[in-house]
Amino acid sequence: MKKLLLLVIVLLALAACGGGNDEEDTIKLGGIHDLTGPTSDAGTPYADGIRDYIKFVNANGGVDGRQIDFMSQDYAYAVDQAEQLYSQYTSKEIIGFQGWGTGDTEALRGRVAEDKIPFMSASYSETLADPAEAPYNFLVGTSYSGQFIIALQYAKDNGATTVALMHHDSPFGTSPLADGKAWAEANGMEVIGIPMPKGASDFTAELTQVTDAGAEYIVVQNVSSPAATLAKDINRLGMDTQMICLNWCSDELFVELSGDAAEGVIAASPFAFVNSGASLIEDEIRPYTEEAGIDLEAKGVHYIQGWVTMRLMVDGIREVVANGDELTGENIHAALEGFTNYSTGDVTTPLTFTSSDHAGNKALRLYQVKNGVHEQMTDYIKVSD
Amino acid sequence: MESGVFHSNYKKDMELRPTPIMKGRLVFVIVLALIFPFVANNYQLTLANQVGIFAIAAIGLNILTGFTGQISLGTGGFMAIGAYGSGLLVTNLGMPWWMTVPIASLVTAVIGAFFGLPSLRLKGLYLAIATLAAQQVIEWAIIRSPFTGGVEALVVPSPTILGVRMSTDANFYWIILISLAIVVMFAVNLFRTKIGRAFIAIRDQDIAAEVMGVNVFLYKVMSFALSSAIIGFAGALLAQYRGIVNYERFTIELSISILAMVIIGGLGSVSGSIYGAILISLLPAILSNLGTAMSDSIPAMLTIMPFIQKGMFGVVIILFLIFEPEGIAKIWKNIKDYFRLWPFSY
Repeated sequence: MKKLLLLVIVLLALAACGGGNDEEDTIKLGGIHDLTGPTSDAGTPYADGIRDYIKFVNANGGVDGRQIDFMSQDYAYAVDQAEQLYSQYTSKEIIGFQGWGTGDTEALRGRVAEDKIPFMSASYSETLADPAEAPYNFLVGTSYSGQFIIALQYAKDNGATTVALMHHDSPFGTSPLADGKAWAEANGMEVIGIPMPKGASDFTAELTQVTDAGAEYIVVQNVSSPAATLAKDINRLGMDTQMICLNWCSDELFVELSGDAAEGVIAASPFAFVNSGASLIEDEIRPYTEEAGIDLEAKGVHYIQGWVTMRLMVDGIREVVANGDELTGENIHAALEGFTNYSTGDVTTPLTFTSSDHAGNKALRLYQVKNGVHEQMTDYIKVSD
Repeated sequence: MESGVFHSNYKKDMELRPTPIMKGRLVFVIVLALIFPFVANNYQLTLANQVGIFAIAAIGLNILTGFTGQISLGTGGFMAIGAYGSGLLVTNLGMPWWMTVPIASLVTAVIGAFFGLPSLRLKGLYLAIATLAAQQVIEWAIIRSPFTGGVEALVVPSPTILGVRMSTDANFYWIILISLAIVVMFAVNLFRTKIGRAFIAIRDQDIAAEVMGVNVFLYKVMSFALSSAIIGFAGALLAQYRGIVNYERFTIELSISILAMVIIGGLGSVSGSIYGAILISLLPAILSNLGTAMSDSIPAMLTIMPFIQKGMFGVVIILFLIFEPEGIAKIWKNIKDYFRLWPFSY
């Protein structure tokens, strides 16, 4: 019993210390990853991309000779743990933070604004792009609303009048619905929103609604595994409706899970796929992964997404250093807001941030699954108003 | 060494902490709690505040589950009502934040009592499912309701007292500490009243309680209301502290982890709820820091730790259920009993 007590005391002391050794002259950044939670499928390669970019920078001399100390941990998509880790890292004086999902991004956006810490995550809700609402959040991907509107534009150009948005039954899922409806109304189209129940193994009922409404296109705002179930059901029912995946089912996992049903599915992906030949992938990412013995094809598009997101933050830091300013979150924020046509090496459209708009990415390319790989189908399509 | 506690008058008999050692321990804890914010950094304060809020919620649930014997899986939903209630009153009606917290608690009490109505007919597993339904209904209503902002997070302006912003970790610590103290005193004393004793009678044997003249239905619903009020109170504090209310925080996982706090801490023990809240909220932090600390010598720890962290939650619950079903409160009691008679225990 006494031994147990001793152990508990030691563990508590360790928790209180927070571990880690603070070295002077490193640039401190914090982050959270979902490696074990419900979104770990996409969360793990995204996290690897972020962490590997840091390794890449540090191996190449860091930022102006200073190494980056990136502190990050798994939070299993639990908001409390995200808050714990965030405050743990801010008490170590980090100057930038990498989040992940909708839950943690929403929970922390007030805090990061108070603490003046630039925040990037893989949640692309339109509200996060408005500096009046979320002054320290920066969006690297096209906003969900933007992705949906681009998909609608494509459908309209191909003669569609009715489009169904089948979405995850959550704020993440419904995020693009209102903006999409407004756009459709202004452009003489109709959009119907159909929630996809969590954990469903059959979407026949939902697809019947699609058929009844006479929709020619189904846009999917959901993650890969339910989207794959949906693709299979569309195939099984012999529907000739064209499916368009937004960001979170535009990945290799979707193709793997859907098998033949993935053929012909269009992907509205803000990020270039591994095989796209984008200069950043070929000149920077692939040499790194080959040297480190990482299978880039297996990591997939979310790895590239994480890499580019971290790269933007680090380039913001470089900008501050180049200007000779003090390295603070506030200065990085100012530097990022000055980025015009920032090149991501063709992984995304060039990014432009201003003090009134943090949706840096306003265009994306459509891809189509052919023989199990995403092939580029169109050039960049810009979100029209 | 003491041979027993002997009371010579009624006033002494009513004391919660009759012996000098008990009083000493209480003073020690109070002093510790008062000194803590001056020596702790922001991270430790965040942890403390989280523990405090969860402790309040766990005490609330313990009134229902530990003392009245009615299981509930709707804790997350009730916390959400408290949080949204408080947040919406501030943002829509412009009420001062300190006024919204008790009102939100009252609203949660009413809704809790409503969802407690099936407890007249349902027991055990059936009641668990009925309260699970409450959790789902509340979550659904929040996402769909036009008032809550639905898909968008509800932003609550920072609470102030006399112009001082309270939502910082250090300032809010005091609000949580005072709230926790009030809730603890309320709960401890509740079980010395007619109402509290009726709760315990129902837990121990509801038929016997009814025969003794306890109105089982009334007291069950009352227990739901009281418990929900305290849980809603915790939710309201969370909304004010964090400034942003999002439904994703109040899912079934929260209900389960608070239930775990109550079970690990000790069913039917107010202090146990606090121990449980400490253990369950600090366990991930302890393990992740342990992983980081060990990763210097064993780099693989960093990749394995997240999985250990996940598994540990289950392991801890199973170990407690096997070795000490009465929880940390019982372990602490055993330690105290051991030393009370030490070294001449028999």
